[in-house]
Amino acid sequence: MDDTLKSLVDSAISTGQKQNVDLILGLGSQSVNNQIRFSQNKIDINKQWQSDLIDLLVLVEGNRVSIGSFSPRDEAYVKERVNAQIKFAQKMTPSPFFMGVESVQHSIDQSAFREHFDPRIVEYREKAPQVINTCIDEAINTGATRVAGSFLFGENSNYLSSSAGPSGGYQNTFYNLTVRAFQDELDASGQGLACGRIPNSAEKELVQAAGKAGRFSKSHKNAQQAKPGLYDIIMSPAVGANVLGNIPQDANPLLIMMGRSSLGDKIGEKLAPDFVNIEDNGLQPGGLATSPIDIEGTPRSSTSIFNEGVLKSYIHNTTTGNMFQAESTGNGAFVNFGMGSKIMAPAPTNVVFNNGDYSFDELLDTSRNTLYVTCNWYTRFTSRISTEYSTIPRDAAFLVVNGELSTPVKNFRISDKILNHFANIDAMGNDRVQVKWWEVGVPTWIPTIRVKDCRVTTATQ
Amino acid sequence: MSEYADLAEYGMEYAQDQGADYSEARLIDGQRIAFVLQNGNFISGSELPWKGIGFRVLCNGGLSFVSVDNLTKKAVRNAITTSVKMAKNSNPKDKIDFGSPVSNVAKWGVPAKENLHDVSLEAMITKLQDMDKVAESAGINTRATIFEAQSLTKYLVTSEGTKIESDLSMLKFYGIVTVKGILDSEQRFVDLTRSTGWEGTKSWIEEYENECKRIAKVAAQQDHKLTGKVDFVVGPEVVGIICHENAGHPSEGDRIMGREGAQAGESFWRDLTLGESRVGSDHVTILEDPTIPGTGGYYLYDDEGVKARERVLIKNGIINEPLLNREFGVKFGMGSNGSSRSSDFNREPIIRMANTYMKPGDFTLDELIEDLKHGIYMLSFTEWNIDDRRYQSKYVGFECYEIKDGEITETMVRRPVMELTSIGLFSSIDGVTKDLNFDFPGVCGKSDPGQGVPVYAGGGSIRMRGIRLG
Repeated sequence: MDDTLKSLVDSAISTGQKQNVDLILGLGSQSVNNQIRFSQNKIDINKQWQSDLIDLLVLVEGNRVSIGSFSPRDEAYVKERVNAQIKFAQKMTPSPFFMGVESVQHSIDQSAFREHFDPRIVEYREKAPQVINTCIDEAINTGATRVAGSFLFGENSNYLSSSAGPSGGYQNTFYNLTVRAFQDELDASGQGLACGRIPNSAEKELVQAAGKAGRFSKSHKNAQQAKPGLYDIIMSPAVGANVLGNIPQDANPLLIMMGRSSLGDKIGEKLAPDFVNIEDNGLQPGGLATSPIDIEGTPRSSTSIFNEGVLKSYIHNTTTGNMFQAESTGNGAFVNFGMGSKIMAPAPTNVVFNNGDYSFDELLDTSRNTLYVTCNWYTRFTSRISTEYSTIPRDAAFLVVNGELSTPVKNFRISDKILNHFANIDAMGNDRVQVKWWEVGVPTWIPTIRVKDCRVTTATQ
Repeated sequence: MSEYADLAEYGMEYAQDQGADYSEARLIDGQRIAFVLQNGNFISGSELPWKGIGFRVLCNGGLSFVSVDNLTKKAVRNAITTSVKMAKNSNPKDKIDFGSPVSNVAKWGVPAKENLHDVSLEAMITKLQDMDKVAESAGINTRATIFEAQSLTKYLVTSEGTKIESDLSMLKFYGIVTVKGILDSEQRFVDLTRSTGWEGTKSWIEEYENECKRIAKVAAQQDHKLTGKVDFVVGPEVVGIICHENAGHPSEGDRIMGREGAQAGESFWRDLTLGESRVGSDHVTILEDPTIPGTGGYYLYDDEGVKARERVLIKNGIINEPLLNREFGVKFGMGSNGSSRSSDFNREPIIRMANTYMKPGDFTLDELIEDLKHGIYMLSFTEWNIDDRRYQSKYVGFECYEIKDGEITETMVRRPVMELTSIGLFSSIDGVTKDLNFDFPGVCGKSDPGQGVPVYAGGGSIRMRGIRLG
């Protein structure tokens, strides 16, 4: 981050303090992010977002809260915005949802985060189109006739300052590729994903993802209509992250209070087999949500959500920690609701499933009625509490027969309860990867997982 | 006019100086005010001055997009230099062509009697608290209330001479409600979004109370399910989502030609012929129209400066016209039909729906019902989804009643499932009512990064014959 934005954040805090607010907390963010979108084997558009923002929380009269966001032109404008936001906060109704923030200044060991920043990110912007063309070629060489995708990468610098005490900065880089390969027919396709922190070290991984998409699309040719019924489903990491990943993300007091969680009043209950352990880890090496501190300045940590299948704890910020007689787990965030609404509340960082023992071949080694599903989308719920839902597999899916991938299948839905899936986890693969893409917003580290007795439905006419 | 209009023009012209064949600047300047309440308790308020410029540049057939929120000449020059360089470096095999120049000059605005700038914060908060009270009185146990008032000006200026100024006023209200029921918790997302001034909130309390009472009624229902084949009469909310998902999305030209392949997907229309391929019965005519005042999808000029107009997507069961922007208007040989929308300054304009609905027919609701010996009247829906070719869809009924011997009974039917292909669904329709209601305001998602845009959808009621329940 350049010193200008950092000094503007400090100026904002100082302006608020001079006005005797109870608390003023600012996060300055500077980012340059790029995206290359491609389809029909060619690049469609190159994009870049240049952004300088300050997110600001102001607390007055003990419990009147406002959260604002603006791009700071200069010091005069920052002062104008802080004063406007203080006036705005004074007009707010008292909020029972504010019970303090971190007050201790924790030192940040920057060396622990060096692996999260690519010092050659600027040069990478020149190189990236060629990398994408290589990916397109790889997907075609491995069997695709058409290739589409998006490649997002960039750098972010953040600086937090709070009148309660904490301050600190950190920076990171990232990359995230989705590549989808098609045959001429509309319903034969495959997907590959790759994401991480260091773009300049990722070319091999990106090309492998493209190759995987190409191979899947080829093997999905002539897919047959799936039959409805009960199946064991082998969920790829992408599918598991989207479906099973909902449960650990529900360990969030904000969702519980809003009636959007399956885990209210379930602390101590056994919801999955003994071999399932899941944590929220804000310090996960290579994690796309890893950072040294949360929005309040509380150090990130690892929180055990499920231990041997038992729900152990929720994530917290200072406020929900107080409400639930617990400590903050370093999960404070400015949570967006809709386009403009923001609140300070807990949010997941990296959801980390334990790696399993099974090789992929061992997962396939079953005599039961089994499907392998590589990708899904459009997951929707009838009830977030009971987790009654359905999702649509897309891209390659196969029947599993005699321990091998057999007939490619298409046109079906998984229509069930995710809590049932969770209890019916049968085996976990040893191939854990990080997943974050269009259908998985929270970075999720998860292996291939086999789930027993999943209900599959199809169109009736 | 925004104080930053000159900066937008400067950037657009600077791109020309740098060698762009075409350049445009889309400036957004305004304010968003938002509140969040939980069970009547105030959580926080947000005031967001919202400003930024998105630039799109075409060089030698290569396209780039750059956005900045730091509105200084230095930042804009830097953005344009990057943008032109990226576009030139693209050098695509198939060069992008926007077709004939567009040079519209116009001003338009959302009709607003009570300007949102003149409404006090106290008045806004009081309205939300009053709405929460009616929800609580209706028996809603858990309530999250999200409100946003947007007052924005948009200025589009292009190197072809287009200059479009627009004043936008939008009110968003989302109620996330949960009722503990006899069999399960029932949940709904109540969306009262509209493009109006503050006067648009006058009916909100009554609408929200009515909706909450219906949700409480559904939660109190017994476990009465039907199986086998039945006839359906489906109300405007469900007709709206069907028009949006099974007709609107597959008609998007960029999907049909694969540009959304990796994200929102492709379209089953790809393998059909416009003006020839039948996807439904003669009763099915589906329209798209951004020019309806008050709706979430309201606009008079799109985000490429093309004048908005009604589009006939499906005409008497035959696919008729795709949604097109300038790029895909050239590829289809039909020209743009004003379908380009950008959700914000930091998103490229792409093909989007606005307000999608079924053209009214000749029936009354009584006439649709009177012929039915046994069926389901589905007024609203809960879980739904559709595959990424927009062919295999599922709609789960929320408020549903059994029809017996030509009468809608008071017996509720629990969560009936329609799991149908688009053609199977549209072909089953044998009657449409004369009325038109936009009962489905929603946020339509597409692209990567996501672009949620407000849309409306609706119609009258429709009758669907012989649907095998899922």
